Amino acid sequence: MGKKRKHSETEAAAPVVKNDSAPERPKRTLLGWKDKNEDAEKSKPASVSGFRNKEKVLVTCSRRISYRYRHLMLNMVSLLPHCKKDSKVEAKSSKGATLNELIELKGSSSCLFFECRKHKDLYLWMVKSPSGPSVKFLVNAVHTMEELKLTGNHLKGSRPLLTFSSNFDKDAHWKLLKEMLTQVFGIPKEHRKSKPYHDHVFVFSIVDDHIWFRNYQISVPHNESDKIARGGLDKMTLIEVGPRFCLNPIKIFGGSFGGPTLYENPFYVSPNQIRALEKRNKAGKFAKKIKAKTRRQMHELANPLEPDEFADMWKDE
Amino acid sequence: MSYEEDIVSDDEMNMIDEDVATDSEAESLSDSDTENEITEKLAEPTKTAVYNRAGLLDKLQDISWPEDVPWTHKLTVEIDQGQAVDVNDDLAREMAFYTQGLEGTREGYGKLEAMGLPFLRPSDYFAEMVKSDTHMEKVKSKLLYEKKQIEESEERRKARDNKRMAKEVQSQKMKERAKQKKDDIESVKKWRKQRQQSGFSEKGKDLDLEFGNGKSFQRGGGAKKRPGVTPGDRSGGKGGRPTSRMNNKKREFRDSKFGHGGRKGLNKQNTAETTNDFKGGFRGGKASGNKRQKR
Repeated sequence: MGKKRKHSETEAAAPVVKNDSAPERPKRTLLGWKDKNEDAEKSKPASVSGFRNKEKVLVTCSRRISYRYRHLMLNMVSLLPHCKKDSKVEAKSSKGATLNELIELKGSSSCLFFECRKHKDLYLWMVKSPSGPSVKFLVNAVHTMEELKLTGNHLKGSRPLLTFSSNFDKDAHWKLLKEMLTQVFGIPKEHRKSKPYHDHVFVFSIVDDHIWFRNYQISVPHNESDKIARGGLDKMTLIEVGPRFCLNPIKIFGGSFGGPTLYENPFYVSPNQIRALEKRNKAGKFAKKIKAKTRRQMHELANPLEPDEFADMWKDE
Repeated sequence: MSYEEDIVSDDEMNMIDEDVATDSEAESLSDSDTENEITEKLAEPTKTAVYNRAGLLDKLQDISWPEDVPWTHKLTVEIDQGQAVDVNDDLAREMAFYTQGLEGTREGYGKLEAMGLPFLRPSDYFAEMVKSDTHMEKVKSKLLYEKKQIEESEERRKARDNKRMAKEVQSQKMKERAKQKKDDIESVKKWRKQRQQSGFSEKGKDLDLEFGNGKSFQRGGGAKKRPGVTPGDRSGGKGGRPTSRMNNKKREFRDSKFGHGGRKGLNKQNTAETTNDFKGGFRGGKASGNKRQKR
């Protein structure tokens, strides 16, 4: 609690502080004293505006989740140092209330809930907690970090750069999703578990109305701490770290784990329907065969063969 | 079958048949349509889907951070993707993601550098990584294994090529030797004839002419002295041994006709054709005709 009060105090006091703190001693850097006024001015408004990102994400999953999806969840936990992992939650109809309570208990402001159904389908709930919207995704094409094809590696807790494809600004619901993704997946600045370097990048890209997620390690040839060698930016390469997944938004609700529906994916077909359709297609096979057979019989009856005029040609002898 | 239907004229019958045919065609078409539909997406948007734009924007207003939040808090970069990416083309799609990441990083690093913030890990900064060392060891060993596999196959191919080359070179050499020998014998014959014609006079001069240029009758270029063999010995090595295989004209011809050396194994192995060929049936005894079909 003490921390919080402190923060609010600084917020209030900040504008006053700005004016009389002009002669400040130069900042020490790795290479010596830095006395650029420009930098000092630049760094100040950040503290002045008093904004501090205090995002905390509750990460949990439903009971009877399959191992692959559980690993995906654990990967997310290792990627987000500002998250709190909790034990599994029974995925009943009343799970919303339970989860809301849990979020409140943990003091977090958002939640990622991995819901596995039928050991096959993974749904991801991304929720802003007290009043914010919640989104339900269907998760496809899951690859976890454990796969040996993904050879990259990066610091645990370093803050990622978040890259969004430009089509996130196309529509209202994409805009909302972008904001939510930046808040949930962006690691708060100066979080105590975060590290001050940026060595990986998240890619969020909308292709075919799905959000694709990728995580790459950035490898730059460099010799000093914060100076890239000449042409280093051109030589920069990315190595995939994982995990990979693809989110298909199903619905956006107004409240947290509920509330009025704000958006519904008009193209969405649930995996259950797809499977049922497949099954029905397969089941039709026998009926079709029978139908064809009867049709053939009817046809043969309707068009009897002409009596063979040579049928009893040799019978007389 | 009722009586009425029996009377139906032929033409009408055909018509009905056609109807049936078209029906079945339509059915099959519709079937394929439904099969196409199994692509996790409806062909056209449902009309009843909710889209509350105002509500969405409201919520966006609610949750979004204040406008003047410095970029270092967000670290977001927007990248224009260019033209639309084909989802089903895995390579193109991944490439698009990669370029998006790369361009984003360049932009982000540019911004960070302009602000004078550290963003690259010093080489002596060690901390916990996302993937454990044991896991990275596994990754490394897999990469090494793959590399080794590729190298081995490369080597095998090279050896095969070399062998083929060596065979060609060998045969070329053999041919050359045979030709040289023939020439030599020819020249001796010529010289003998000449000498005979000229009545055995001025023998020293001719000898010099013919043999002075280092050629000789012996295989392997004359100048070599064979240890432990008398100069006149033409048996080519061990006393009782017959002349070498390649010098025997008859043998050579027969070899070329019937084959000699080389692999036999492949002739006896099944190939794709022979395995699928059941002409001979499975009762080996009776299907005698096809036993040699393979050759």
